Amino acid sequence: MARRKIISVTKKRKATGSESPNQKKNTVELAKDINKRNNTQKEGLITSKTSDEEEEEEPQSSDNSERILNLGEDLDVGNDSDYIAGDSLEDSQIEEIDDDEVSDISENERNLGEKKEEQEEKDREPPNTVGNIPMEWYDDYPHIGYDMDGKKIMKPAKGDELDKFLDKMEDPDYWLSVKDDLTQQNVKLTDEELDIIRRIQMQEIPDANYNPYEPMVEWFTSKPEVMPLSAAPEPKRRFVPSKWEAKRIMKIVRAIREGRIIPGNTQVQKPRFYNLWADSDQSRQDHPMHIPAPKMKLPDHDESYNPPAEYLPNEKEKEEWEQMDPEDREKNYLPQKYSSLRAVPAYGRFIHERFNRCLDLYLAPRLRRNKLNIDPESLIPKLPNPKDLQPFPTRLAFSYIGHTGRIRCFSIDPLGLWLVSGSDDQTIRVWEITTGRCVYTWTVDDIVHSIAWCPNKDVCGFIVAFSNKVAFISPFKLCDEEMYLFTNQYVTAGFNQSQKDDKKKNVHWVQPTEQEKESGYLVILNHSHSKTVKQVTWHRKGDYFATLAPDAGNQGILIHQLTKHQTQQPFRKIKGIVQRVMFHPIKPLFFVATQRFIRVYNLIKQEAMKTLQSGVKWISSLDVHPMGDNIIIGSYDKRLCWFDLDLSSRPYKILRYHSMAIRSVSYHKRFPLFASCSDDGSIQIFHGMVYNDLLQNPLIVPVKILKGGHNIVDSLGVLHCEFHPTQPWIISSGADHQINLWT
Amino acid sequence: MEQDNESQIQVKLVTQQRKYAVSDSAILVPANLRRYGLSEIVNHLLGYEKPIPFDFLIDGEFLRTSLSEYLQNAGLSTENIVTLEYVESMLPPSSLSAYQHDDWVSSVRGHEQGYFLTGSYDNNARIWNPSGECLQTFVGHDAPIKSVAWVSIQEEDVICLTASQDRTIRAWHSSISDKQYDVLYECRGHKGSVESISINAQEALFSSGSWDSSIRIWTTTATPNDEDGSDYEFIENAEKRRKIRKKKATSIIVKKPISILTGHVGPVSSVFFDTKDPAKLYSGGWDYSIRTWDIESRTNVDTKNCDQVVYDIAYSEKSGLIASGHADRAVRLWDSRAEDVAVVKLSLVSHQNWVSAVSWSESSPFMLTSASYDSCVKIWDIRSKTPLYTLRASDSNSNNHNRKKESGKKLLCIDWSKDLILSGGEDNRLHIHGAKKIEGPYTKENL
Repeated sequence: MARRKIISVTKKRKATGSESPNQKKNTVELAKDINKRNNTQKEGLITSKTSDEEEEEEPQSSDNSERILNLGEDLDVGNDSDYIAGDSLEDSQIEEIDDDEVSDISENERNLGEKKEEQEEKDREPPNTVGNIPMEWYDDYPHIGYDMDGKKIMKPAKGDELDKFLDKMEDPDYWLSVKDDLTQQNVKLTDEELDIIRRIQMQEIPDANYNPYEPMVEWFTSKPEVMPLSAAPEPKRRFVPSKWEAKRIMKIVRAIREGRIIPGNTQVQKPRFYNLWADSDQSRQDHPMHIPAPKMKLPDHDESYNPPAEYLPNEKEKEEWEQMDPEDREKNYLPQKYSSLRAVPAYGRFIHERFNRCLDLYLAPRLRRNKLNIDPESLIPKLPNPKDLQPFPTRLAFSYIGHTGRIRCFSIDPLGLWLVSGSDDQTIRVWEITTGRCVYTWTVDDIVHSIAWCPNKDVCGFIVAFSNKVAFISPFKLCDEEMYLFTNQYVTAGFNQSQKDDKKKNVHWVQPTEQEKESGYLVILNHSHSKTVKQVTWHRKGDYFATLAPDAGNQGILIHQLTKHQTQQPFRKIKGIVQRVMFHPIKPLFFVATQRFIRVYNLIKQEAMKTLQSGVKWISSLDVHPMGDNIIIGSYDKRLCWFDLDLSSRPYKILRYHSMAIRSVSYHKRFPLFASCSDDGSIQIFHGMVYNDLLQNPLIVPVKILKGGHNIVDSLGVLHCEFHPTQPWIISSGADHQINLWT
Repeated sequence: MEQDNESQIQVKLVTQQRKYAVSDSAILVPANLRRYGLSEIVNHLLGYEKPIPFDFLIDGEFLRTSLSEYLQNAGLSTENIVTLEYVESMLPPSSLSAYQHDDWVSSVRGHEQGYFLTGSYDNNARIWNPSGECLQTFVGHDAPIKSVAWVSIQEEDVICLTASQDRTIRAWHSSISDKQYDVLYECRGHKGSVESISINAQEALFSSGSWDSSIRIWTTTATPNDEDGSDYEFIENAEKRRKIRKKKATSIIVKKPISILTGHVGPVSSVFFDTKDPAKLYSGGWDYSIRTWDIESRTNVDTKNCDQVVYDIAYSEKSGLIASGHADRAVRLWDSRAEDVAVVKLSLVSHQNWVSAVSWSESSPFMLTSASYDSCVKIWDIRSKTPLYTLRASDSNSNNHNRKKESGKKLLCIDWSKDLILSGGEDNRLHIHGAKKIEGPYTKENL
């Protein structure tokens, strides 16, 4: 039995070495165990008390050792089964190791065994057999239990308080004694027991011999051993898919199928507490809209304290640098050489540079420019090829040369054979269009501002405006007698009717002098104001015509009737500075273009119909489409606006092709063409198709730029342009004293 | 004749000019030969000491490149025999003289007898003889003369017509020897400038085209075809008319047209009688059309349309083609016989500006000449699309500075009369170029 115990102890020793976590539990149970042990040792204690022989001291000590061994065994009671069950594999190994120790112990044991048996003889006093019960149950009885034979064990004599006191006083070991409940006697604690108590109090391992820090024996490691403990082959089980795992997985799969588990919906539960500053020291990832701060320039070679000689400026360069304005300097420092780093002085521009850097950082533009990923071709509207839109004028045919001043105006006769032009050289000339031959020349006493051929094909003549006069002139050589007579009749018939009261009149219709009559003048209109008449324009029938004198205030716009020599003042008050006036080609409408607006008046109803808002700053010219529903204006701020009267009071199209102010715009009377001429010396030809279908918007295609015909004189280029009435030709006049025909 | 690295081509040389005919067997010539080389071969074959320049035609077109290039461009094989037709080259025209006028020369006509009739913007018409003397000056029109025409020259008696911007046509009679002239009659009726007149083959009728878009037919006889009783309302208004016109010709016979052809919708710029058929008239106008009229039935037989204004037309009886000058710088050729087919047979573009006048050569069915506002006269052989020669009006006697100045001078009229090309225009001169096929020493510089 002892042998078994020893073996178990050795086992225990080894085990505790590897299983330190059991220690705590063991120490906790220790106090109880001590009681148990006392029970077992009761006999010994008694004997030691009863027999004071010295001899017995030795077995006592040996007994102690056994007690400790027992204690160890007790300590191990809970673990033993686990130990064996868990490591049954290694049993053989343990036994092998144990054998060495066992052999040492066995000799000792033999001696011990003999002594024990002797003592057993003596101590065969029946112990209390009541077992482990609360002993206060026997408080009321004279005995404290029963021995092996069932005889009562009487309570030992219990001393009174005095005895206790005396014992306390006399017995020096009294404080070392503990009352044993089972025997109702005081037992003196041994040194070992005291040591154990002390250790427990100190929260140390009770066993003094136990070394918790024994080196670990790696019994089971991952290292493959040359001579493995077990040579058993890898079991099949390790290679076979686990049945239980499969079952578990099937269970999950079924749950997913039935919808009890939604895969992918694994909500990662946020920890309740987290480190707020955990990532504060890491650099933040760039925001998609992040704009990095401007980079600083890296230092240059010549900024070194010891730059190579080629970087050092010579005297001349130094001087130059110093004379330069600080803002013009390429570099704001002069490369300098120092013998050593120690000799480098403090950097004088440090604060300045830091300040500039700060300015850079907060003034740097933080604007992200999105690159438009659009095919530029797709933005260009699909227009027909200009080649398909012919005919239109393409090249300069020839010039009409003769004038010696700017040619501000000209007009073409309705058949397209003659051209009359008025110039700053105070002459009016008539040209044969096809040959460029000057047929007529008249000299007047002022700059000719406007000229207009009578649109009536039966009448041969034109009106011309110079200073505050308007004259009707008939170049009689160009027409046959019938026509001349008709014209004469047509124009001068009014003299018979209109000589009533002269005072109220805005305009005096005056008979030209004989000399003037000889040269073709038929009637002269003297305006009562002294302002220059800037524009004359015909009504389509050639009876009425309007004159415009922008500076003359309310009398600026007048409408005259040629046959009756009557003059009307259509507007009592005129808003703004009128730039152009025009009759509608079909309807009884009248267009008045001021600097920014075009007002449309109905002459029959005598009311304003419409105001077109051009959006330009200063209108220079105006023309109405021969169909009457569209008008174009040119402006001094380079724009050409196309208005569709049915569409809106805002421009349908705004064209900005000229680089200088537009001087004149013109529609072709037969072909779908219109043109603009500008101070940049060019004439732009556009295809402007107007459809009868109201739903279809006009088609506007730029087809040709006519350049090179006119020189720019005093920043004035082409002053007037007009299409030939029947052919796709355009005639233009310029500040360079010539009129050009483009075909 | 054999050369390394060069292929040779078999050619057959043929000609319609009997005197230059060579054997029609095929001969081998180097493929890189041009006109000059071929001309040398022909001269060699003919055994001429004085070489005569020849031009070569393949399939009716002038050879302007080397033979190999031509074949390559036409996609022809070099293995086959190429038939080359050769004709005597026209020598470059030489400027003979220039007659100074007081004003622009608007119209010119040459006569077989060597006289030139010119109309000018100074309202006068003149007759010149070949030595440059102005034989006669007809004064009477109130406006520039736009067109002139010969009626007849019988010994000393000359009858000619002038059309003017004053809407009248006058017939003048004079004798060459003395300076006397008188107005045979005056044709009134046009309401616009008379731009062109043309006399038919029988010289009995003439037509006039005017800006009033009508064509009027008149007789050339001096007797008025109408009773003068209805001599126009302007007689009634004679007083007023006197104010307009200082010169009033009271004694002039006034004629009325025998017929008025209307159809053109724009000004008529040119009329031209068929030189064979006295009843056939061609006209061109601003309405882009070339019309054929039958005088007798007064109907518009045929209309050919293009897309440009027609300035002048000319008909060649030898080739039956109508040439027209246009505002788009082109000379177009139309087949007068092809009715209902309004297709341009050929378009000759080389001028830099409007073509103001065209005229066919009387001798050749292929040659014509054109005058343009770019002050150039071009001579064309219609077998080639490039002009044969370009004559600058100012080439003859003016230095560079003047030439620049005059380069913008428009040419207004041209007439190819026998061997002479007459042209006049804005530079106030009548230029006369000799266009004769002169047999002379052939040098490289001439070509």
